[in-house]
Amino acid sequence: MARSRELLRYCATRLALAPVMLWLIATLVFLLLRVAPGDPVDAVLGSRAPAAAKALLRQRLGLDMPLGHQYLDFLKDLLHGDLGSALINQEPVGEIIAQALPASLELSITALTLAALVGLSIGFSGIARPEGKLDLAGRFYGIGTYALPPFWVAMLLQLLFAVILGWLPVGGRFPPSLVAPTGSGFLIFDSLRSGDWEALNGAVRHLVLPACTLGLLLSGVFTNALRLNLRRALRSDYVEAARSRGLNERQVVLRHALPNAMLPVLTIAGITVASLIGGALLIEVTFSWPGIALRLQESINQRDYPVVQGIVVVVAALVVMVSVVVDLLVALLDPRVRY
Amino acid sequence: MGAAKTYPKVQQQQRPGSGAVLAALLLGLSLSQIACQPHRRSDRLTVASAGRIASLDPAQASTYGTLQLLTALGDTLYSRERDGSLKPQLAARQPQISDGGRTITIPLRRDVLFHDGTRFDAAAMAFSLRRFLRIGTQSYVVGDRIQAIETPAVDVLRLRLSRPSSSLESLLTSPYLTPVSPTAYANHQDSFLNDRFIGTGPYQLASFRATQQRLVPFKRYWGEAPRNAGLDLINLSNSTALFGALRSGEVDVLMSESIDEDQRLALDRRAEAGLLLQSSGPALQIGYVTLLSNAPPLQSQQVRQALAYSLDRPLISERVSHRQRLPLRSLIPPSLRGGKPEPWPLYNPSKARSLFQQAGYCKGNTLQLPFTYRSNVPSDRLMALTWQAQLRRDLDDCVRLSLEGVESTTVYRQLGEGAFKAVMLDWGGSYPDPEAYLAPLLSCTQSSGEICEAGEAVISGSFWTKPGLEAALRRSDAIKGQARLKQLLTIDAMAAEGAAYLPVWLVTPKAWAQTDLAPPEFNGSGQLRLARLEERR
Repeated sequence: MARSRELLRYCATRLALAPVMLWLIATLVFLLLRVAPGDPVDAVLGSRAPAAAKALLRQRLGLDMPLGHQYLDFLKDLLHGDLGSALINQEPVGEIIAQALPASLELSITALTLAALVGLSIGFSGIARPEGKLDLAGRFYGIGTYALPPFWVAMLLQLLFAVILGWLPVGGRFPPSLVAPTGSGFLIFDSLRSGDWEALNGAVRHLVLPACTLGLLLSGVFTNALRLNLRRALRSDYVEAARSRGLNERQVVLRHALPNAMLPVLTIAGITVASLIGGALLIEVTFSWPGIALRLQESINQRDYPVVQGIVVVVAALVVMVSVVVDLLVALLDPRVRY
Repeated sequence: MGAAKTYPKVQQQQRPGSGAVLAALLLGLSLSQIACQPHRRSDRLTVASAGRIASLDPAQASTYGTLQLLTALGDTLYSRERDGSLKPQLAARQPQISDGGRTITIPLRRDVLFHDGTRFDAAAMAFSLRRFLRIGTQSYVVGDRIQAIETPAVDVLRLRLSRPSSSLESLLTSPYLTPVSPTAYANHQDSFLNDRFIGTGPYQLASFRATQQRLVPFKRYWGEAPRNAGLDLINLSNSTALFGALRSGEVDVLMSESIDEDQRLALDRRAEAGLLLQSSGPALQIGYVTLLSNAPPLQSQQVRQALAYSLDRPLISERVSHRQRLPLRSLIPPSLRGGKPEPWPLYNPSKARSLFQQAGYCKGNTLQLPFTYRSNVPSDRLMALTWQAQLRRDLDDCVRLSLEGVESTTVYRQLGEGAFKAVMLDWGGSYPDPEAYLAPLLSCTQSSGEICEAGEAVISGSFWTKPGLEAALRRSDAIKGQARLKQLLTIDAMAAEGAAYLPVWLVTPKAWAQTDLAPPEFNGSGQLRLARLEERR
């Protein structure tokens, strides 16, 4: 009872702190954008537009108001769930995020699943013979994939599988010759739901290269994390105790060592998800994947304040949510965790 | 097996059957490659270009990709042909100029329909023009020239001008002035309509996403029907992806903007080898260096001229672009100069040294010049590096460049504040006319001697002008034909003497297509004629 009360209190504290964290992030982004050189009015009208036209647009966008006033307006709108409209084309920021976020999530979830499957399998495969060939190969794989520059790997895979072999599309998210299914924005899910197999094939083919590249690069983290934690677990007292009770090695590993070794991996997975939501920029740029990171980069270049602010706030909220969920899961799974 | 007999040792080292496995793998790989190469499944063509399309509204358009798309979805009153002539599109005939050049009367076609089925007429054209002048982000290209828009008849449009303007004819070819359906835009008279376009062009928009647009032929189009069954336009985010998409056969046509120089060269070589088709349009984009002329050390005309002599354009063109970017010694692209010689001086390091010496440099006094380039434009960086190295080779004791990369948005913002002593930029006129190159760089509304205090020369970052230059610019807009060209070339020569700008190169638009297509064609404004893309018969 005491533990569940502790957990509830921790949960409540984290949830109560989340808005504060979001407010801090939103404020920081707001200020950094205003401090950065470059003018959104120039981005919209071009630097050659007459001063009168610039002044008019500045007034229409509320950029002529004092910074404090702009900040209060921004916070007020944010509290009402209004992320504003893009300066470049007046498209509501909420709609921009609703279009780009599913693309990023689809890529991230697929990549993470691949990374976990591949990384954990490789990490686990060497455990039968520590320092054996498989184990060394796993270690090399873990360090190698972690160290490889993402844009370089992405371009190599793109060159090999798309340009030279022609097996997969070079970039984009959907075949231009087909009409994309509508619905959730997750094209694979939407294609399945509508029973459009041609669309499903197109969406999957476009997803394979970016997801595999990202998954491959991330898998090393899982490999290393599992290898290290599993080895530590196998040297621990409770595993020795299990062995001394006469359990065979398979039972020792699967029932005792592996569940404990997986707990830190879960935390890593959580952090990875959080970083992927807004951070797969190089992959999105290389494969022209219309995700949220690509959109964020374009908006920063255009000094499109509302879009940048909106994306950062939404991504930050998701990151906070994911980290709270992961912490709670770890707390639930591991009775040793205290708060 | 023959190979096995030739190299028995290799055969001995292999495990039994490994050769067969290898052969099977290679065969499988080859077959899969053949099987997986994309083949066109219909007469629709896929055209790739760089960058996303944020808005389809002509009042909001500014990027090359958007303007290119608008030429497929809409028509303008006139188009510029490759020979420079003005060809009526929605206009029925050439414009009639009266009232000493202050009135332009344009007879309109009567057989034109918008994609929503409504009729195109003078009222629709007036609606679109007024809308552009009211909310158009690029409305300053028209400026204060149009005083009133009248519709004396259903098929006659009349423009009353505030002053005679011979460049207005060219302006009427600009995609910014593409008419839109007043019915479809009734709720968007004062706001942009970003994801739809209802115009009169050979194609209708079937679906729109910022990175993908689907175009189908407009069956009731007044002009020549498109030669293909429709277009799928895709916008990829980087040069490598665009290059790879064409190379793999995934796209049929690739437009050249934002393709890296090495990849351009590789595509050209493939075209020379007969593996692709390549076409070029009129070169209308110039690359140039702006020198800040109102502050030391470049307020000295002698120093600016020395820099003009120091620029080895052929070398820069070779090193940066493998001669893809042609050396340029004029602010006006050659195709608009009527074959007249370019006024900026040729590379002459001896003359440059002499001018630097006269200005008090060389022999112990080296000019340290900060040179800014846009860090997100690879060719600018290469140009800066090449010029820096070339000066170190030729004039090391006279001038040294210190390079600074600044992101383009910041450069544009700070240019008019005089933040850059020397900066590499580019410019493409809004319409193919010499005035669209000279006025945006040289026009000055307020000056003191040779220093411009307000106007385009300030926005351009040079702050340079010359007494009589603005009047000459105004005069050129009031005359026509050879006299006008002569006047504009005189202004170009004045700019060369002032040396506040150093033209560097000329960028030629290109398109590459798969060999089963007919060669792509460009119009006189440098836009690809998408409706003329077709499979080779």
